[in-house]
Amino acid sequence: MPFTAKSGKFNASIKAVTIGTGDKAITIGGENVLPFYTFDAPIENAPKVGVEITDFGMENEPECIKKYYEGCTTLAEIAKKAASFEGVDFLCFRMEGGDPNGANKSTEELIAALKEVADAVDLPLVVSGSKNVEKDAELLTKAAEALQGKNAVILPAREENYKTVGAAAGLAYGQIVGAESSVDINLAKQLNVLLTQLGVNASNIAMNVGTATAGYGYEYVASTMQRVKAAALSQNDTQLQMPIITPVASETWGVKESITSEADIPEWGDQERRGVDMEVQTAAADLACGSNAVILKHPTSIATISKMIKELI
Amino acid sequence: MTLLDLIFNGNDTVYERVEKAVSEAVEKYGTDKAVAFPDTAYSLPSYYAMTGNKVANLGDLKEAMGVVKSMMTRNKRLHDGFQSGWATLLCAEFYEALKYIDGAKPYEAPYTGHLSDAYVREQGVPLVTGDIPGVAVIIGPAPTAEQGAALVKSYQGQGMLVAMIGGVIDQCVEQGVKTGPNVRILPLGQDILSVAHVISVAVRAALIFGNITPGDAKGLNEYTFKRVFAFVNAFAPLDNVTLACGAGAIAMGFPAITNDYPYRVPKSLIVQPDVDKWNATSLEARDIKIKITKIDIPVAFASAFEGEIIRRGDMQIEFDGSRVDCFELVQTKEASEVEDHKIEIIGPDIADFPVGSKQSIGYIVEVAGKSMQPDFEPVIERKFHSYLNCVEGMMHTGQRDMIRIRVSKDTFNAGFGLKHLGEVLYARVKSEFAAVVDKCQVKIYTDPEQCTKLRHEVAIPLFDKRDERLLTLTDEGVDVYYSCIMCQAFSPSHVCVVTPERLGLCGAVSWLDAKATNELDPQGPCQVITKERPIDERIGEYEDVNEAVRKFSQGALDDVSLYSIIEKPMTSCGCFECICGIEPLSNGVCIANREYAGMTPIGMTFPELASMTGGGVQTPGFMGHGKHFISSKKFMKAEGGVGRIVWMPKDLKEQVKDRLNATAKELYGIDNFCDMIGDETVAEDPETLLAFLEEKGHPALTMEPMM
Amino acid sequence: MALKGLDIFKLSPKKNCKECGSPTCMAFSMKVAQGAVDISACPYFSEEAKAQLSEATAPPMKTVKVGTGSEEFSLGGETVLERHEKTFVSKTRYAAFVCNCMDAATIDAKLSQIPAVEYERISEKMYVEMIYVNYAADGQSDYVELVKKAAALGRTMVLGCTDVEVAKAALAVCKDSKPVLNGATPDNYEAMNQVAKEAGVVLGVSGANMNEIYDTVKALEAAGNKDLVIDTTGATIKETFANTVQLRRAAIKDGDRSCGYPSIVNLRKLAKGDMHLQSALAAVFTIKYGSIVVMEEVTYAEALPLFGLRQNIFTDPQKPMRVEPGIYPINGGDENSICLTTVDFALTYFLVSGELERSGVPCNLIISDAGGLSVLTAWAAGKLSSGTIEKFWKEQDIESKIKSRKLVIPGKVAVLKGEIEAKLPGWEIIIAPTEASQLVKFLKDM
Repeated sequence: MPFTAKSGKFNASIKAVTIGTGDKAITIGGENVLPFYTFDAPIENAPKVGVEITDFGMENEPECIKKYYEGCTTLAEIAKKAASFEGVDFLCFRMEGGDPNGANKSTEELIAALKEVADAVDLPLVVSGSKNVEKDAELLTKAAEALQGKNAVILPAREENYKTVGAAAGLAYGQIVGAESSVDINLAKQLNVLLTQLGVNASNIAMNVGTATAGYGYEYVASTMQRVKAAALSQNDTQLQMPIITPVASETWGVKESITSEADIPEWGDQERRGVDMEVQTAAADLACGSNAVILKHPTSIATISKMIKELI
Repeated sequence: MTLLDLIFNGNDTVYERVEKAVSEAVEKYGTDKAVAFPDTAYSLPSYYAMTGNKVANLGDLKEAMGVVKSMMTRNKRLHDGFQSGWATLLCAEFYEALKYIDGAKPYEAPYTGHLSDAYVREQGVPLVTGDIPGVAVIIGPAPTAEQGAALVKSYQGQGMLVAMIGGVIDQCVEQGVKTGPNVRILPLGQDILSVAHVISVAVRAALIFGNITPGDAKGLNEYTFKRVFAFVNAFAPLDNVTLACGAGAIAMGFPAITNDYPYRVPKSLIVQPDVDKWNATSLEARDIKIKITKIDIPVAFASAFEGEIIRRGDMQIEFDGSRVDCFELVQTKEASEVEDHKIEIIGPDIADFPVGSKQSIGYIVEVAGKSMQPDFEPVIERKFHSYLNCVEGMMHTGQRDMIRIRVSKDTFNAGFGLKHLGEVLYARVKSEFAAVVDKCQVKIYTDPEQCTKLRHEVAIPLFDKRDERLLTLTDEGVDVYYSCIMCQAFSPSHVCVVTPERLGLCGAVSWLDAKATNELDPQGPCQVITKERPIDERIGEYEDVNEAVRKFSQGALDDVSLYSIIEKPMTSCGCFECICGIEPLSNGVCIANREYAGMTPIGMTFPELASMTGGGVQTPGFMGHGKHFISSKKFMKAEGGVGRIVWMPKDLKEQVKDRLNATAKELYGIDNFCDMIGDETVAEDPETLLAFLEEKGHPALTMEPMM
Repeated sequence: MALKGLDIFKLSPKKNCKECGSPTCMAFSMKVAQGAVDISACPYFSEEAKAQLSEATAPPMKTVKVGTGSEEFSLGGETVLERHEKTFVSKTRYAAFVCNCMDAATIDAKLSQIPAVEYERISEKMYVEMIYVNYAADGQSDYVELVKKAAALGRTMVLGCTDVEVAKAALAVCKDSKPVLNGATPDNYEAMNQVAKEAGVVLGVSGANMNEIYDTVKALEAAGNKDLVIDTTGATIKETFANTVQLRRAAIKDGDRSCGYPSIVNLRKLAKGDMHLQSALAAVFTIKYGSIVVMEEVTYAEALPLFGLRQNIFTDPQKPMRVEPGIYPINGGDENSICLTTVDFALTYFLVSGELERSGVPCNLIISDAGGLSVLTAWAAGKLSSGTIEKFWKEQDIESKIKSRKLVIPGKVAVLKGEIEAKLPGWEIIIAPTEASQLVKFLKDM
């Protein structure tokens, strides 16, 4: 008696969102099955992998990242280098220096940096803010303006500033709004509802439903993503059918398992390998739970995840 | 002449003037001459948005004049007036466009004339977010230059975008008011037809931010009405041309305010003779709410001060409701009775009292709003505690007429007075309850006699009325219930159905709370559930409720009953105050509260019961609930009501005793019902409990078998 | 659909005899419904009732026990497909791979690597719990000797061996440690079944595709063996993922009990030496239904994220993870360093401790018992109050352990400041920002 698996194909599907323009444009979402369930139905748009650089260039990066950018002195060079790594589908520029509690760089300075990066590469872009909602309202509005015509993702519009970021990115300058909520399906949905009420087209929204490093409260991320996908597909909840983009590197490269040097804890072994494995495992888990795109940093991680996606799709 | 006639007349005048100008231009340049505004991708934006047609050259413009003519119907109907208004605005746009032929720069500083797409996008974002609360279009000279400048500045102070036409510009220049796009004060031009430039901004906002398809005139008017909070301030005398332009503005949803005119149209053409009141009149007419961003007090305001304790030696003054008459109150008023941001102090201020003395205080926050309901009063009032505690050097405890407030010497010395107490209440209420509170004023009484009088004649009767309302609210007496999914982070499929007689099982969300939450945050965790299609009144099952539960549990739950513990009981999250479960031997239920650590006669402790009933899963025979629900007439109504309760921990029994006894008396005529209920001092096992119940003649023993 | 406790209770003897260990029949029935106890624990259920219930209460997926003593692990027994529905009960176990195809030096190196990984994380001991001992017919070392060597490490073993005779010989030296014999194929299952049964060990089933596997499982079930695990490893990563997911789904969702067995996923075959790819796949199969995941090696690099991920995924979705209350010195904090306090909710702890580490400021993080709830929830539930802090200070005798008298409390409970000042005389109470992310700046500015 042969094994007969019932199909788990759904009648509803995730919305397909195209990022970027021209030959290098990518599309995420569109599937009507759970992540990597190609045995239920083909997945047309494989999940995508982005590389992240920040306005600090290599200033704050660990040695094991820096070495891949040897010889790069300007942001433009760094961006070009990042774009050249194997497996990179898009580039994420994170303006972390804008945080008023940190370097507090001015909006003008950061926008100039963004333009330098945007002019250097032809990959689809994700722009990510400073983690400060007030600063982001201003910064991301200017970023959306600066990137007119690039069809970039502007991340994050959050509950506190969604009106400004949503209106600027989604309405005024025709970009894709990255809606960020913190690991709660209802908050994710509420934000999407609010953005669509504001007038943002539902197919111009991507979500970041929250992110964590493996081991660091990851259960909430896993369950939120799985529930979002379940609601989107099995309940046909149109307000949760936006594809998910998950920043990984900015989380994983901050935990002690990734950054403690081998000298400090010899038994843990090579720091680079640890950092990559933390990044790779977190990204793999995100993809298995429902992310349509992940943002990484180490070239080996990017190549590995890209290879894994190819193997699974 | 009727108002419509006057509009038609104004429209005809403009048409004639523009037709002439177009003909002259054609004669001068020929029909192939390009016509365009600089820096816009929307051609002649208003005409493009209204008709879907782009005008490229003078030939097109001539044709467009014909289209406009066709709009100028002359039936005596409102619609014709609106159409003629629009026709006037389009003519104005054409007239202005002619000025830009051959890349001319017709406007010199301070005048702006046409505004670029980039400016529309840049200002459009804050307009959409409400950071620019509205757009004021001011036409003509004010009675005095001071009044004109003051009006402009009042709008600027509220963060609005101000467009000016005609004499008011000169008045501003005279008074030294800075103008220009960067300060959001736009002197468009001297000619009334330069109004086209601000109309063009509104129209492009609709195209860019509203995704309005060019040619969708209805959609355009709807968008500007709903999303562009503009209004017109036109100083008398109002000529027919200005009136016709105003008719166009009204068609877009922008009311016009003037100071002297024989005609008025409710909500659209408003006459307010006192120019100093135009700001308030305009805001009210266009329903614009100004966001409060900062609180004007001399000390800090932050949650970090919430837990501050002011000791006796440090205090400047104490208002002590336990010794003298004090109260705090929110009252709903008519809009006309409330002057926004008015703060009145009736009686002496802090400085007038001896240091360290105990005094009376009573403050009434009077609010008005289209969506305000008296049911929200206690919800707002309950926040006062947190608001006042956030003030540095201020301590507030209690509520209603049992409040106590201390103000520290440091805070007093920093210049803090009672006015600032009013400022805090005003600012917080206006910002946190913006959805329901349109206007707010504060009255602070410190005169002891007034406090006594108001406390007994106003406050206490109102508190009593509210309590009465709470007690008399029944499930049958309301039209809707509310869902609450605040705890879905922990219990993914759990949905609370909150009814007047069955509060959320956490004990923290009453029907009124849920209602207020819904009103204040319509996309939030509490949603309206209708109850129009009952399936089974006995167990409290409704088609509507089931549909809502299915939706909010993402399909995890199919149906629930409101009043049964056996049949489709409501699910439990994890935050329930109490759990009740069947104790089969005595044919009743035992209730355990979270604080109770011991064993129950069911054979399970609270944590064991919790692990079996939590997580949003239906567990017949077991149910989580709030403490207040125990004395509800709806408690297990399907199984016979509170008479089923055979056991609960002593502490819990004490807490619910009075109300539960009253309910049992009403339902069964039993006195002192709680004395029949076992507790841990009587039994922790079913056999001993049963013996106790038999001795007491507990009603559960003679009820229908539960299973 | 599992039966409700009340349905079970209706069939119970209702005599509250306590012989089953539960104080009442109701409590017993509820536990049976939860799957916490077996119905056979009650001596008085009628045969008829038992028969009626056993079918309905039997879990859709079998629980298989392997190993002995402290190294005994349950595999399978899951009732849901995603963790938010109900707790995943049997953790994924990771097995390090050795093979008699390796030379002696490699084998020794591999085996010595296994105990090298051992640490504690949130009260859980983390180590490589299993060893996959593979047999290759053309291997250069003696398989039975290898098994003996591996067994000496005291880990639960999986014998990957399809040769009946070799398997028998290997089991002869290790069967008491209850290894898994991953050896049944469509060709040898009858003989292998005998070997496994005689040795009393769990049998692993593999095949070229799902049809082969399914048929073999059916045949083994017919032969009376339900102590099975299924090796879902296919030729490719994609196929393996499909096998593993479809098997679990058929068991849980469609109730096909012949699919309801734990899985073995052999990543060594799939990652082909790419250690980072193996790492990624280990994470995927931790989330998607790997019961035993075989890895070429498990060093700290793989283990640190993987065990953390597993610890997260296999938690009760309703009960937040907790850390042990106590004093946690950070950045070399000593008795004179400033103190900060927060709740024992693991997520809060990790966020706060991470930021404190980033600040580089030596300090003491004092975690009090707050029922594992987040700051605001604990405060609302009365589990974080001036009273609980005072009690904790006394219990832990903090004042004799720490000389500093500066205590930073979470910004979200600023409201507690005055009360804590009153209850902890001599302490200066400082309000932290409301978000952990602002702690670095806050501490540096102090």
